[in-house]
Amino acid sequence: MQNVQTKTVRKKSISYSRYGYFFIAPFFITFLIFQLYPIFFTFRTSLTDAVGWEKVLNNSIIGFENFRQLFDPSSLVYSKFWGALGNTVIIWFFNFVPQLGMALILASWFTDSRIHLKAQGFFKVTIFMPNIITAATIGMLFMSLFSFPVAPINTFMQTSGMANMPTEFFRSVAWSRGLISFIQWWMWTGNTMIVMIAGISGINPSLFEAALVDGCTSRQIFWKITLPLIKPILIYNLTTSLVGGLTMFDIPHMMTQGNPNETTNTVARFIYMQGFTGSRNFNMASAASVVLFGIIIIGSLLIRYLLNDREPKQAKGGK
Amino acid sequence: MKKVLSLVLALALVLGCMSFASADDAKIKLVVWSFTNELQGMIEKYYLPDHPELDIEFQIYPTDGNAYTTKVDNLLGSAADSEEAPDIFTLEAAFVKHYVESDWTGDLKTIGFTDEELATAFPVMAQIGQNSAGVQKGLSWQSTPGALMYRASLAEKYLGVTTPEEFQEKVKDWDTFLETAEELKEKSEGACKMVTGSGDIWNAYQYQRSQPWVVDGKLVVDDELLDFEELCKTLEQDDLTQKGAAWTETWFAGMQGVNETLCYLLPTWGLHYTLKPNCAPGASGDLSEEELKKVSDENNGTYGDWRMVEGPTAYSWGGTWMGINAAKAAVADDAKKAAMHDLIYFFSLNEDWLLTYAHDSGDFVGSATAVEKYLAEGDHPNPFLGGQDHYAIFAKAAALANGSLMSEYDDTINSLFNDYVTTPYTKGEKDLDTCLAEFKAAVAAQITTITVE
Repeated sequence: MQNVQTKTVRKKSISYSRYGYFFIAPFFITFLIFQLYPIFFTFRTSLTDAVGWEKVLNNSIIGFENFRQLFDPSSLVYSKFWGALGNTVIIWFFNFVPQLGMALILASWFTDSRIHLKAQGFFKVTIFMPNIITAATIGMLFMSLFSFPVAPINTFMQTSGMANMPTEFFRSVAWSRGLISFIQWWMWTGNTMIVMIAGISGINPSLFEAALVDGCTSRQIFWKITLPLIKPILIYNLTTSLVGGLTMFDIPHMMTQGNPNETTNTVARFIYMQGFTGSRNFNMASAASVVLFGIIIIGSLLIRYLLNDREPKQAKGGK
Repeated sequence: MKKVLSLVLALALVLGCMSFASADDAKIKLVVWSFTNELQGMIEKYYLPDHPELDIEFQIYPTDGNAYTTKVDNLLGSAADSEEAPDIFTLEAAFVKHYVESDWTGDLKTIGFTDEELATAFPVMAQIGQNSAGVQKGLSWQSTPGALMYRASLAEKYLGVTTPEEFQEKVKDWDTFLETAEELKEKSEGACKMVTGSGDIWNAYQYQRSQPWVVDGKLVVDDELLDFEELCKTLEQDDLTQKGAAWTETWFAGMQGVNETLCYLLPTWGLHYTLKPNCAPGASGDLSEEELKKVSDENNGTYGDWRMVEGPTAYSWGGTWMGINAAKAAVADDAKKAAMHDLIYFFSLNEDWLLTYAHDSGDFVGSATAVEKYLAEGDHPNPFLGGQDHYAIFAKAAALANGSLMSEYDDTINSLFNDYVTTPYTKGEKDLDTCLAEFKAAVAAQITTITVE
């Protein structure tokens, strides 16, 4: 009965609902081919002996040997992998903490109705600008700015009397890591700030008005109203930054090539070096990717766990 | 009615295409892959007009970010005998050894090359195009020997040297090279440096070794390399270089005459495409010979001030080889094999053409006999070198350089050696034993297919 009815309905009028699926199909097809399949392929490759292109499609499964090497302190890759992870975390930390702080301050200034900044659009665009440039270009730019012995920074320091001798920035661990952190900070602060502004703008303005009427200072408003209410945005920012930070590749690769002494070698660079140079150890590169995947998941869950306070239900219910 | 009509039209279209296709069958189809359009340009200009029977499909993928090798590896690894797979593909110095050692590239003798034909290639280029068993798998239209370029005015001012012959005596081996560097420092009171950086001499010095990096699947650190480290350290610590790296501001500044750097060790392409377009502030590769000279004269450049000598070691740097796809060559019929042979022969060993090309492009060609003929024509003065004939000097290096010193993983190992040994050791950050141990550990971690002791 129902069948007959739908059949007649279809004949008379066209159902548009299935076109929705057509529109989302391209995404899912691309996703399946270029993301989901490669992810499974990586998992599989991490369990094989795939060394060299010849063995990418034609290999045999050897179990968890690659993972054993990554976790076995006596193996050759152990110190390189975990060293790279340490570098990545250090570089990420010194980029992220100032970035979050700066973005929060800027966002609260831009949204503060009492300060009411003029030419906001100009400032926002200027701060966001570095994010538009390709990371590789910025890496090359900083490399030539800070190179040795003749380069803009060294010349400036010598002519202005700040130094007698040129400094070899990229042989110093602190400078090399510091510059990478700085570039990351400089590139991403604008982006984080925009997201924060969006988050703060989403807060009901009557809350701020009420606080103003009650005589709150700007600082009190920030700590007691803005910050607690943009926590979901903070979690989002922390998580995306963690993912971006742990997979950091282009700036260190272009600028320092992991030097000096592997202190700027990141996990993504370790994976690249394993997979695309030397004997092309795709198996080890895949295993390291899987471990990194696990670390990122644990990190993201930890962020959620730490930032979601224990009695959120009540607070949310009040809204 | 409409349906019938459209069906007929569609059929006609299909039939039309098929008949065109069958007309094309007489042509021999070759797929050629490369990473620049250099070979395509040469084939279209010099070869295709006389070979109407050929239908060549070109594919060009850049080497940036390993795009070319990834493409080749993917296709040869999965469908080497497919229609789209290359019949002939070019190989760059950085990865030529990897491919000639693999089973993907075919023995050139299988498409009809003979020992007599192969004997006319420059040994260094032929050796690099061979696998470790001595099977010839790649041939090149060019040869890329290196030499030492120096600035005549500085040599005369500080060392009192007036002719290239005298200067060659000053750099005849690496010990003398170092002595000259010390002398230069003393006489110029530190104003003029021997080279830009210790890394500048690596490309030449590696030909001083007696064995490649990998012998019988084992990593070998040749004793000469330890001498190389001592030489570099002395150069660096005694302040005999500009302390800059190649391809940096400092390096180019010396070419422009902005700082006083006496020597550059560069190959054929380095002379034409690196040194010459950078001979003065404001100079570029787009300028003609006269314009370059003018810019150089106006800006205190170095045009005409350079001279060339063989230097301490005969070496070769760079190059492009043509190889064949073993899987497709195996199933090719005789006509196709002959076509492949003829094409590769024409561009790598055909003396008449190579002679023409040497005149047209100034490139240093790959056949020893063609170079002999070129030299026999008499002097070809190069105004950039103050009238010296660069061909004569490159010819000496090309004849002497030892191509058997190259091995499959050179690219990776060279850069690891620089990062883990040369840089930290010459800068005095670590002692040599620590450096070597770290280098070996890095090689072992990155190249799991060789043994490291």
